[in-house]
Amino acid sequence: MSLYKNSSFWVLLMLIYIYTLVSSGEVNVLATDSTDKMRQTPSFSPAPAAAVVMGDSPAFKPGVEALFSLNLLSSFPEDLEISKYCSELLLIFGQRYVAYVNCLVTAARPVQVCQKCYSSYGSLVDTYANISSDQMGAGDNDSCRDSLLRSDRLMLVYLLYSNMQELWAKSDCDKCITKGFQSPTNDTLYFMNTHNQTVTCFNKYQQGNYTELCKDCKSSYKSLNELYSRMETNQTMCIDIEDTMNMTRRLWSRKYNCSFPREETVPVIAVSSFMLFLPIIFYLSSFLHSEQKKRKLIHPKRAKSYASLVNIQSKLS
Amino acid sequence: MANITKKVSWSSRADESGGTGEGTPLLNGSGQPRLSRQLSGGGSVFQIGRLSTVDLEEEMSSEEDSLRGRLKEIPHNEKLLSLKFESLDYDNIENQLFLEEERRMSYMGFRCLEISRWVVCGLIGFLTGLIACFIDIAVEEIAGIKYRVVKENIEKFTEVGGLSISLILWVVLNSVFVMVGAIIVACIEPIAAGSGIPQIKCYLNGVKIPRVVRLKTLVVKVFGVICSVVGGLAVGKEGPMIHSGAVVAAGVSQGRSTSLKKDLKMFEYFRRDTEKRDFVSAGAAAGVSAAFGAPVGGVLFSLEEGASFWNQMLTWRIFFASMISTFTLNFFLSIYHKKPGDDVRNTVDYNLYEIPLFIIMGAIGGLLGALFNKLNYWLTIFRIRYVHRPCLQVIEAVLVAAVTATVSFTMIYFSNDCQPLGPDHTEEYPLQLFCADGEYNSMATTFFNTPERSVRSLFHNQPGTYNPLTLGLFTLTYFFLACWTYGLAVSAGVFIPSLLIGAAWGRLFGILLASITSTGSIWAGPGKYALIGAAAQLGGIVRMTLSLTVIMVEATGNVTFGLPIMLVLMTAKIVGDYFVEGLYDIHIKLQSVPFLHWDAPATSHWLTAREVMSSPVTCLNRIEKVGTIVDVLSNTSTNHNGFAVVTQGAGGDEPAKLCGLILRSQLIVLLKHKVFVELARSRLTLRKLQLKDFRDAYPRFPPIQSIHVSQDERECMMDLNEFMNATPYTVPQDTSLPRVFKLFRALGLRHLVVVDDENRVVGLVTRKDLARYHLGKHGLEELQLAQT
Repeated sequence: MSLYKNSSFWVLLMLIYIYTLVSSGEVNVLATDSTDKMRQTPSFSPAPAAAVVMGDSPAFKPGVEALFSLNLLSSFPEDLEISKYCSELLLIFGQRYVAYVNCLVTAARPVQVCQKCYSSYGSLVDTYANISSDQMGAGDNDSCRDSLLRSDRLMLVYLLYSNMQELWAKSDCDKCITKGFQSPTNDTLYFMNTHNQTVTCFNKYQQGNYTELCKDCKSSYKSLNELYSRMETNQTMCIDIEDTMNMTRRLWSRKYNCSFPREETVPVIAVSSFMLFLPIIFYLSSFLHSEQKKRKLIHPKRAKSYASLVNIQSKLS
Repeated sequence: MANITKKVSWSSRADESGGTGEGTPLLNGSGQPRLSRQLSGGGSVFQIGRLSTVDLEEEMSSEEDSLRGRLKEIPHNEKLLSLKFESLDYDNIENQLFLEEERRMSYMGFRCLEISRWVVCGLIGFLTGLIACFIDIAVEEIAGIKYRVVKENIEKFTEVGGLSISLILWVVLNSVFVMVGAIIVACIEPIAAGSGIPQIKCYLNGVKIPRVVRLKTLVVKVFGVICSVVGGLAVGKEGPMIHSGAVVAAGVSQGRSTSLKKDLKMFEYFRRDTEKRDFVSAGAAAGVSAAFGAPVGGVLFSLEEGASFWNQMLTWRIFFASMISTFTLNFFLSIYHKKPGDDVRNTVDYNLYEIPLFIIMGAIGGLLGALFNKLNYWLTIFRIRYVHRPCLQVIEAVLVAAVTATVSFTMIYFSNDCQPLGPDHTEEYPLQLFCADGEYNSMATTFFNTPERSVRSLFHNQPGTYNPLTLGLFTLTYFFLACWTYGLAVSAGVFIPSLLIGAAWGRLFGILLASITSTGSIWAGPGKYALIGAAAQLGGIVRMTLSLTVIMVEATGNVTFGLPIMLVLMTAKIVGDYFVEGLYDIHIKLQSVPFLHWDAPATSHWLTAREVMSSPVTCLNRIEKVGTIVDVLSNTSTNHNGFAVVTQGAGGDEPAKLCGLILRSQLIVLLKHKVFVELARSRLTLRKLQLKDFRDAYPRFPPIQSIHVSQDERECMMDLNEFMNATPYTVPQDTSLPRVFKLFRALGLRHLVVVDDENRVVGLVTRKDLARYHLGKHGLEELQLAQT
């Protein structure tokens, strides 16, 4: 029995384990009950057995099969199992992963994924750093990095983590959160503060007198807008700020209809028709007054040969 | 055959009665020749033997008689040949000097020559790339400043009111740039006007267009095109880049500049038309490849448009020049943009069932192109007839610039098409105007931008970026603007405007397709249709086929799209040719250039060299009196360039036997160096004239008036034996026109002597004699010669 086969088996185990975690997490999110999340985790133990049995089955449904036979774990040689330390790490990783995803989903609309979830992302990063460090588990000569991250083709832990990493990078959260995931940056806080002021101003005129709103809130909206464009040029923006600003702008332009009206149509039309009139005058005047250019025809020297003419005539007839 | 004659004589009558001078119909020669009359031309008397028209009709001749007293004057039209154009001497002059020089040259000498040809091609590519890069960067920077200023102004006045002031600011900025561009073109170098491709096409065809490859032209061209693109005209910079490449080639290969009075004493061997023309074709290819990033397209452009003289080594060298040029441009641009190698090409696929749609688009492109050409043709005729003074030309250009800005502003102002800003800000200068915050005016991305960027955004922007109304209005206005702009006295090309028009209606086509068909939104990507539309429109206007296909394929980096593009261009050409010729050909015709097409007109086999040739020929003796030569050369009414050298027979009047051909330029050099028989006898130490002396005078031979010949010297004799081309090409009198044509075109001749069976000179065929026949609506027609 090759080592490879065994190790791949173990990763299969992990797959099911984490799948269960995640799926249970999602259930929790839907139920908005995060407290009993941990209670469900024990259900992972039957899963590996199912994996062994159904390993080759294409229609592999761990959720359904999880109820079957249990203690196949012990049938593997000791030294090929992952160490206790590593499995603990994996467990923690799973918990934090679920917590982060949970947070993300609640912060999806309006987008607040950076402000709300930076701490849970921070802890996820920590755990992953632990896993991927060179540190050896107690009494084991195999580091968790090797056993958890790269023992198989799928590399599930890595895949999951990199997904989250990508999400984080895509939302540009690094630009709003300080290094080490301590707190939002001062810029972000200041922006949110300004935004709150504007929204407060908007809320004063909820009764429908939008023309008043446009006039009175213009200064605060304008300063918010300017702040935003400053941040835009400085590249210190994350998705949270962008989304907030987008919503505010939409409120301002669409709901309250405070965009600039198209007022001075007449002067624009007057100036443009004047401009369009000029070429007509130009062409008319140059047609009437300019001297037409004439070409002198030159008569080329040609041979006078009767012979050829006769020739052609005979050819033609 | 009889059928043709009928047609011809009918057309002739219509023409004569119309009196518009629409090309003398081809004479079918059944009439009596109308003969010699006296003309007062500098006191000299010369004969005009002219075959007259048709059937001895009396009323015809009476009209002709009334015109006899003076030179006939007609308004400019397309059926004229100008006298100011001459041929290039592509044929090698094999005289004794040449043979001597060849004998002196060692094997190594020829190897060095070959190497220096490669070096010159490399230099051409490099310099052309640099110039293209300079134009690119200058346009980007200056246009950037202009658009930022206008944008700030518009933003300011959107808030407080007074947008008409922004409009005036925009108009003034555009007008100032265009005025500068138009002044330098109209007043300093008029040949630099337009795209330059027609001129280069003529040059490669073998026509010597005056001043077309001078340094001054290059400078005016480069600055002119920067001005006109920055000035917001509906123009592109591709044509001028090609012209620049050609000028660079002509300059570099000579190793000197006559304008700067600098002679590097390099590449002296290349100082003749044959070599220069080869290098110019390399330069044009390098220009194309710099303009479009298409090296193979550049080579094929040279092949298609120009080089009638094509061999493997030349092709390979031209390709080298193109590659170097593309590389140089990309290299420097990547330094400028600080992101080397960033050239992401999007790949688009097409389905087989889309090909009929593409062909339909090709047909639309052909129709629109024909319309464009026809409108531009009328406009150009009007311009040549009425707007010919430089100040008028400048005013016209400024007016066009002002109107372009006004129309753009009005379109933007009244557009209601607002789109959200994209995440990666593909819009360079987004204008918000009356749109909601965070959105921009979609019309502004097309109008408030350099045309090149507008094309790019039409190709690449997401579906849904433009709404159909915006695109429709844009196509309509830009079509007329571009048509109006081409032919102004500014240096500007037509490639990019055509692409832009095509891309706009192509995109519109794609959007409509997606909305009509149920599954259309899946396969009908608007970017793809924009590309096809652009190809169709461009093909419909310029009617290039092979090179344009390759240029488009290379520029988009998408080889799989080769077949659709080719089909589209073919359709566009077929449909367009049904109505009117390509834009460049129209302009060549309107310039009255004696341009030789690939073949003689189809129904011209019955014409023989005897009808085609000019006669009588001015002949010189092998040893001729200087006075005679000077008189012949200074005769302004004839102004011939090639003279047959003959040995006089025993009799007096009979045309003498041909023994060689000598050119005006050679005679002038001989006169300048006073190579007279008597002087050679008296001064034994006189240096023998070498081929180098002829090369030093090339290409600007002094006019005969500047050469002083004293009364004594007029009596001297000149021995032409050594200098004449002893074996000129000749044809018998009965050779048919197509045969003469083929010989002339394939060998790049300038003079072709017509001899009788005893080798006596009876006539001389030149380019203008051949170019005057063309196939018109009523059969074969003949163009008239005119002084321009």
